[in-house]
Amino acid sequence: MAKHHVTAALNGNSVEFLCETQQTLLDVLRDELQLTGSKEGCATGDCGACSVTIDGRLVCSCLVLGVEAQGKSIQTIEGMAQGDRLHPLQRKFLEHAALQCGICTPGILIAARSLLERNPDPSEGEVRYWLAGNLCRCTGYNKIVDAVLDAAREMRGS
Amino acid sequence: MDMKTTKPEEKAFKVVGTRPVRPDGVPKVTGQARYGADFALPGMLWGSILRSPHAHARIRAIDTSKAAALPGVKAVITSADFPEQEYEFIGPERVAVNFWHMTRNVMAREKVLYEGHAVAAVAATTRAIADAALELIEVDYAPLPHVIDVDAAMRPDAPLLFEDMITRGIEPPPAKPSNISKRIEFGIGDLAAGFAAADAIVEMDFTTAPVHQGYIEPHACLARFDNKGQGELWSASQGHFVVRAFTAKLLNMNIGDVLVHPAEIGGGFGGKTVIYVEPLAAALSRRSGHPVKIMMSREDVFKSTGPTSGASMTVKIGARKDGSIVAAEGLFKFQAGAFPGSPVMNATMCGFAPYNIPNVRSVGYDVVCNRPKSAAYRAPGSPISAFAVESVMDAVAAKIDMDPLKFRLLNACKTGTPTVWGPKHAHDGYAETLQALLAHPAYKAPLGKNQGRGVASGFWFNNGGESSATVHVNEDGTVVVATGSMDIGGSRASMAIMAAETLGIEYEAVRAIVADTASIGFTHVTGGSRVTFATGIAVVEACNKVIAELRARAAMIWKIEAADVAWESGCAKPAGAAAGKFEPMPLKAIAAKRALTGGPIGAEASVNAGGAAPGFASELCDVEVDPETGAVKILRFVVAQDVGRAIHPSYVEGQLHGGVVQGIGWALNEEYIYDDAGHLTNAGFLDYRIPVASDLPMIEAVLVEVPNPNHPYGVKGAGEVNIVPAMAAVANAINSAVGRRLTDLPMSPPKVLAAIDAGC
Amino acid sequence: MAETLARTPAHIVLISSLSGRYTGGAKEFDIEAKTLLDVIRALEERYPGLGEHLEEETSVAIDGEIHEVAYYHVLRPGCEIYFIPKIEGG
Repeated sequence: MAKHHVTAALNGNSVEFLCETQQTLLDVLRDELQLTGSKEGCATGDCGACSVTIDGRLVCSCLVLGVEAQGKSIQTIEGMAQGDRLHPLQRKFLEHAALQCGICTPGILIAARSLLERNPDPSEGEVRYWLAGNLCRCTGYNKIVDAVLDAAREMRGS
Repeated sequence: MDMKTTKPEEKAFKVVGTRPVRPDGVPKVTGQARYGADFALPGMLWGSILRSPHAHARIRAIDTSKAAALPGVKAVITSADFPEQEYEFIGPERVAVNFWHMTRNVMAREKVLYEGHAVAAVAATTRAIADAALELIEVDYAPLPHVIDVDAAMRPDAPLLFEDMITRGIEPPPAKPSNISKRIEFGIGDLAAGFAAADAIVEMDFTTAPVHQGYIEPHACLARFDNKGQGELWSASQGHFVVRAFTAKLLNMNIGDVLVHPAEIGGGFGGKTVIYVEPLAAALSRRSGHPVKIMMSREDVFKSTGPTSGASMTVKIGARKDGSIVAAEGLFKFQAGAFPGSPVMNATMCGFAPYNIPNVRSVGYDVVCNRPKSAAYRAPGSPISAFAVESVMDAVAAKIDMDPLKFRLLNACKTGTPTVWGPKHAHDGYAETLQALLAHPAYKAPLGKNQGRGVASGFWFNNGGESSATVHVNEDGTVVVATGSMDIGGSRASMAIMAAETLGIEYEAVRAIVADTASIGFTHVTGGSRVTFATGIAVVEACNKVIAELRARAAMIWKIEAADVAWESGCAKPAGAAAGKFEPMPLKAIAAKRALTGGPIGAEASVNAGGAAPGFASELCDVEVDPETGAVKILRFVVAQDVGRAIHPSYVEGQLHGGVVQGIGWALNEEYIYDDAGHLTNAGFLDYRIPVASDLPMIEAVLVEVPNPNHPYGVKGAGEVNIVPAMAAVANAINSAVGRRLTDLPMSPPKVLAAIDAGC
Repeated sequence: MAETLARTPAHIVLISSLSGRYTGGAKEFDIEAKTLLDVIRALEERYPGLGEHLEEETSVAIDGEIHEVAYYHVLRPGCEIYFIPKIEGG
């Protein structure tokens, strides 16, 4: 069967790829574009390890077809740092030891950035509910929540 | 808030106890770190595994011809592609590796023993073709009656998984086969006399559900094997040396002909100390002549890997009015899953270990049933028996009207206390965790309506064993530390800290890496809370060898004897006035003169580390129970754990937080749900619900530091014991809130509600 | 000098599964030994097969401290030695 030709913006760059109809955006990112920062933890939208944004909206890339990316702007973990400058969330995750194995970290960083874009001053409860779609089995979430709150503080400049 | 209690006489460290950024941090926050599924090679094929739809069935025949003929398919394998293995239990009793079992678990032979059991595998040019080929494999199954529950599996009329399995550990051996693989017993003292002296006796029955380790990364690997008998694996595991040994054995290869590269590992918790996909990918690669990648789906992970055992238990404890425990007895029946090897032995040893009990007996049974073979999970076995023992401890304390923490403190083991398995405890630490909780403000905080507070404790044997490390001084005076321990939660950082402290240099001057199986000596798995202890000892030993060499080089430069050179704060110094007057020579300066003084400076150390001190944890939990729905909300959770010494306190705290939260999931949500046909009905994260951020409060960690004299920096393992008390702490809190003692895990809303209603 | 004096023997205890299999029920022994190798050799001599079993399948607690079984452990006079099953962690 013929593959689909898709044009999209990926982390600010124009990108073209061919994909099969059934391939998810996650498969395309990982297998066709070699961007393996987005992880497959479940492929059913339950764990959030594949979180990306499409036109600013937080989604599980395992629940989006590759063809649906046509004409859209996609942001993945690989686009989070600006050159050699880490995003404040990335820095705070390192300072707070907010990762152990690190497999959920890319998805959680994308989700947390999405939260702070909407709510620059979230409460602990708001952070916990926003991140409820991102499973972490290592940390018990303490240091993740601490890191997000601390990054929010720094980004607000307070 | 996290806290730390350290004994006052401690000497100060410069690097140990600080919280630097981990060496592998940046790649892990930028998506650059490569995990098991993140590797690819030119010409790579995708492997896919056909799994049994039956819980128990005989395989009459497998026809793979149609699958093999599908365009794009390059190899199809079945159990016929793996050599038969000898039936013998090799190595330690608890894991007692039996390759006859292992080869059958990775690929079913005569029978399938659980839904999801692998029966064939395909490698094809795309994932879609590989999956399509699976549909073309014809397996002729003769379904057999199955058994899921442990008590049912022990009945004389139960369907047998192995028609010739005779229970081990019973003298004389039983005449008839059964599903009971092994009986274990430990005991000291006179049980009858002990209970006769008791003023209060409580005996209760308990069950726990099997729970999955729940690592977020499904098992995945990439294999490149050739038909000359050599191969390479990129694999996410808790031990690449174990992956190498098991894969080589199952493929009948020399260990040295298999090279395993340590991929980053996305969580393991014990579940990645064994192998599933590696030998299949290797066999497909060998057959096809191409690299082959296999990624498990989440459904595959639930149906065919892990979990830890479910159990059925009875525990009886007797105490005097003054609070002293006089006797205790436990019966622990564990589901091993489809092959022998549950952690029941650990359960029988650990359950009563925190207490000084003169008369005590523990009996355990390892029982096979039609579930996936159990795998290690964080302090394997101990949390299960602790749920029963610590619940009964709570009930006994109530019966003699004593504060539950003080009751535990009164009976707490210390150095010299006998254990149920014989030897005396050689370390303190338990009482200190109880004292930390007694002193914690949470213990006196007021509670509201429908709220309750529970406490519980736990014990775990931290492990030591074989580890290897190399330390090389670079030309510019920086240092590379390589070990054979997979870094699952920050161990590169702790290795770099210990090296920097020992050498007397800055943390930033040390680069810590994990070396592949050809580049470092054998190192046992990252498990058993052993890495910072055992691999840490190897790192420190290698550093000390390097220091000896640095002193010798400085001595050569100064034209004095090496014995007259001391090493202090990263510099060679004359050892006293008699040695001569020289300015201290820093490591960097010695490194610069390495060629003049004999060439590169480096050392390797391989150890078999003994004297790992056990871990103790005590936990306090506040809950609120919704009387309308039975839902339990965790309001507050404090964990006090003796960690010996925290090398990087942030990552140690993280272990405590994470272990507790896994315990909360085990207590409240997690279970395997089977239908009548033996099919797992909740094989996904939606229906197998692990705790999410909004379920939880901040877990409050108290690092209790009672240093271990058998480690240069006092380390005791920290990774596991934190999970041990958690389920009992929650159960005791629910009992405190609603006056109902729940004895079946998980304590899900329907069960809590039923318990409340039963009391109305 | 001290070496020439008779040493207080080490006290060895086996778990019951081992004593049932190899020693006809005998569980406790006093053996003069300087290292664990001496202990294993002495037990193997008395009960063929036991030494190898101890090497392969047990851990050892020497005065309560748990080690993997290894020949080189130096024993304190009068020390307590328990051969126990190996423990594996998660």
